Amino acid sequence: MSLIFRKLARNNPRNIITDAQILVISCRKLSIVPSVYDGEDPAPKFFSSNVQVLLKRLTRPDFTKVFRKRTSHGLTVLKTPTYKFLTNEELEEEIAKANERADRLLQMPPVVKIQQHIEDVLSKDPALVGYDTAKYIFTDITFGVANEHRFIVERDPDGYLRSCDHDVRKRLNQVYFPTLGRKLREPVMFSDLEKFNSLLDREQYEFVLDRACVQYEPDEPSYQKITSMTYQHVDNKSKYELLRSTRHFGPLVFYLTWHQTMDKLMLELLQSGAVREAVLLTALRQDIHGDVANGDVARTIVQQILPTPVQLTKPETLTEEDIQLDSKCVECIEKYIVSNSSMKSQQELALQGFREHYQQLIELSRGLKKAHGKQ
Amino acid sequence: MSLPPASGTGRYFARAAKSIRLIRQGCTNRPFFHISVTHRRRLNSQPVIEQLGSYDPMPNTNNEKLVALNLERVKFWLGKGAHVTDPVAELLGLSGFFPIHPRSYMTAWRNRRTERENIAKLEAEQAKAKPPAS
Repeated sequence: MSLIFRKLARNNPRNIITDAQILVISCRKLSIVPSVYDGEDPAPKFFSSNVQVLLKRLTRPDFTKVFRKRTSHGLTVLKTPTYKFLTNEELEEEIAKANERADRLLQMPPVVKIQQHIEDVLSKDPALVGYDTAKYIFTDITFGVANEHRFIVERDPDGYLRSCDHDVRKRLNQVYFPTLGRKLREPVMFSDLEKFNSLLDREQYEFVLDRACVQYEPDEPSYQKITSMTYQHVDNKSKYELLRSTRHFGPLVFYLTWHQTMDKLMLELLQSGAVREAVLLTALRQDIHGDVANGDVARTIVQQILPTPVQLTKPETLTEEDIQLDSKCVECIEKYIVSNSSMKSQQELALQGFREHYQQLIELSRGLKKAHGKQ
Repeated sequence: MSLPPASGTGRYFARAAKSIRLIRQGCTNRPFFHISVTHRRRLNSQPVIEQLGSYDPMPNTNNEKLVALNLERVKFWLGKGAHVTDPVAELLGLSGFFPIHPRSYMTAWRNRRTERENIAKLEAEQAKAKPPAS
């Protein structure tokens, strides 16, 4: 019996799963295959202002998580918080400053196309064959030149003068102009697949992604492989909450949407009652692929959602505007589920659950209003 | 001992002849060179006017010899009429900044010749060793 189920689950892991036990089996069966952005260049889409706004909003920044104490490394004495009396204007100034600092901390690592090999022969001199058995590598250390524009050339034993490839360039840049935290040799946690998988199984996603950001450039094949494996692991386990309010959530959502596998995230959003963010996700898909049935409707709703404050927790009371906006969102999501979703039944179920909960909430808040004597 | 700054600590005389040369900085059995500009009549042990780069003649684990050159400052000192010693001119030639130094070509063909001779010797030995066996 379980064998049949397992076979079914493997054939169509999204729609067949109804039982928790089978879900476990299918999760173990899902193998993670690293993928890189080697087709169309994702950079223009990722950096377009629409997509950036949507990704930042989907990050759902919670300042208690953004500004949390991460490590006391390098601090001899922990600083105590200072308390001040401020006027309203001063308070607003401080809040604006905090927002700016949060923006800096939440700046997303760029998503770009994978790099191409550098094959650039500068000169051929067969008379130099036999000069030396080792390569000579020349680095121009002129002051004020960016790492990517620096001249780094090699004279090979066969007499060719070539521009160096990316891995050599990176190594030499690290030798002469070290980046803090980057290692000259690849850390074992990335090179050893067993250790990497153990980190993923322990759900140390943020640690892995932070370290990958320091160790690699965003267009390196190893970076894209490592991040894609991490994103897939997060997606399989539905542990999106671990990456929310960090700089890695935007690229995660972009990755899932780019590869058309964002329905599990959509399900999680619906189950946690964040319909507004679900609409943002449909708008994101519309911006990237343009294949959503009612994409234009989603875009207009997004314009209404963006000015409202971020909902970190489920709302306890509702105003009439909230109710209007949320009902529009629900309609939009319904259409999306019917026309584009690949997990129709589960998402419909989740949406139904949300609707029932929401109806109770509406009644409660209207009753409260009446009890307070307001119309 | 802390290293002197790359801008150099030696006294500078505008009219005196300058030279760009390799200055050995390693320790026993571990050569390492700075490429520095200094007065021609000054000893290698004396402070230099400016350091322009470095050269590590021992291959690293990837079988590479690393050379660093501050080409902007090299151009500046060449413009000032600095003399370039042969080892530095060879390195600059290999890097494609100068034409290849004649001595590089000489080293190359000498190496090729010894290689050829070694192979010939080896073949002769093998030929000598073979007849009694057959």
